[in-house]
Amino acid sequence: MLLIKNKSLRDFIRFAVPLIAVPVITIAGAVAFDEKKHIIISLAVAVSALLLFAAGFEKKSTGTRRMVIVAVMAALCFAGRFIPFLKPIAALTIITALYLGGEAGFLVGSLTAILSNFYFGQGPWTAFQMLAWGLIGFFAGLLADKLLKSRALLLIYGAAAGLAYSFIMDIWTVLWYNQGFDVKLYLAALVTAIPYTASYAVSNVLFLYLLAKPFGEKLQRIKVKYGV
Amino acid sequence: MRKFSEYNPIVVAVWFFSVTGVAMFCNYPILMAISLVGAVLFFTVRNGLSHGREHLFFWVLFAVLALANPLISHNGKTVLFVMNHNPVTLEALLYGVNSAAMIIGVLYWFRSFTQIMTSEKLLYLTGALSPKLSLVLSMALRFVPLFGRQSEKINNAQTAMGLYKDDNIIDDIKGRSRVFSVMVTWALENGIITADSMEARGFGTGRRTQLRHFGFRAGDIVLLIVTLLLLGVTAAAVGTDSLSIDFYPEINIKAPDILGISGILSYGALILLPLIIETEVRLKWKYLRSTI
Repeated sequence: MLLIKNKSLRDFIRFAVPLIAVPVITIAGAVAFDEKKHIIISLAVAVSALLLFAAGFEKKSTGTRRMVIVAVMAALCFAGRFIPFLKPIAALTIITALYLGGEAGFLVGSLTAILSNFYFGQGPWTAFQMLAWGLIGFFAGLLADKLLKSRALLLIYGAAAGLAYSFIMDIWTVLWYNQGFDVKLYLAALVTAIPYTASYAVSNVLFLYLLAKPFGEKLQRIKVKYGV
Repeated sequence: MRKFSEYNPIVVAVWFFSVTGVAMFCNYPILMAISLVGAVLFFTVRNGLSHGREHLFFWVLFAVLALANPLISHNGKTVLFVMNHNPVTLEALLYGVNSAAMIIGVLYWFRSFTQIMTSEKLLYLTGALSPKLSLVLSMALRFVPLFGRQSEKINNAQTAMGLYKDDNIIDDIKGRSRVFSVMVTWALENGIITADSMEARGFGTGRRTQLRHFGFRAGDIVLLIVTLLLLGVTAAAVGTDSLSIDFYPEINIKAPDILGISGILSYGALILLPLIIETEVRLKWKYLRSTI
């Protein structure tokens, strides 16, 4: 087996391969491919990225305490999805990622998607929601040092994450409707989704503004007290 | 003799993904029609005539999706009329109807899927893939009602201490956020206690077991093999372009050859499988009861 001495580099590669390389390669491949097959490729990539992540998580020995905290946060996100108009899921995912790392963030985001869809309806979009929310948490974990230092940066990240989530889900909407990607349809989908996009961005900023500090203190306390 | 929903979750999931997979990755109108009709039939057989609002939502969405395409896409040869200096074409309209049939069909299938695949069955499926993730999922599922009950308790305690609202919205918000804050601290602490107690009882030292045992019976294997066979024929027909259609610039539907026809028939049979099983169960029940 290939051995990389530097631990952080090793961790980075372990995440970067399934979550960044696979999507990028496939999108590049999809552009060259027959345009009618985009939907197969995109769904396959989303599912395989999630499977790779699950396999990595399965092999690693994660402490029981850490796993339970992830379950607690996922349950809180699930409950938050019932709030009308405002969606605290991404904000809570980001907060978890800031204090417990990118992997925990990815787990909370993706598990919330699959959990809450028991209530809101499962569908082929579940895989995309899992990936989108998971990546929001994962990148927040990567940028944790900077985001913890500057509150403005954190709020900007929240707004950007809301926009990115909506844009990713609209790509899926177009692929599903049209099987291949179509710029005109994508723009139309973006325009019709403006209220949702705005609600995602606004609720991310609002909840990060309100919750980041108190939630952070609670998570930090648990970390210090129990060494999670 | 079991109902379709009582079969092994793996078999049921394979059947669902075969049906929806063909519907999603192919755009042949006959297959779309079979999928949509089958999905509506399956949903109504299971639920009777209830869920009127869902039906209404689905069909309004159908109309919106069908009409969206001709308004955005102006490809196609046969111009029906001109709106805002943009031609509205027959091809784009039919393309929209076809896509809408696909999407609404899949939406109906997944409504039934969510009903049949309870969280317990899905945990069985994810448990086969990743026991650890499945554990986190099942714990989170349990936490949701637990947190609800705990919030209620905290709220009662706060009220008993005199911290309740008096028709003042600011006080109300403050009170609620206090309850929420207490709840989160409790939830995290309680999580740690749960984790410690799990470890004390030997969590992670052996294989995890399921609450309910889903065996693989002869009927499951037969259903699985039949599903895969029918899917194979359909996939072969779709994959070899025996069932293909071009909408632009003008509609060019290929007359299906023998492989194409057998593909259509096997997709129809695939969709009828659970209905056949349910009807057989019902008939048998009726017949046996009348001889008692």
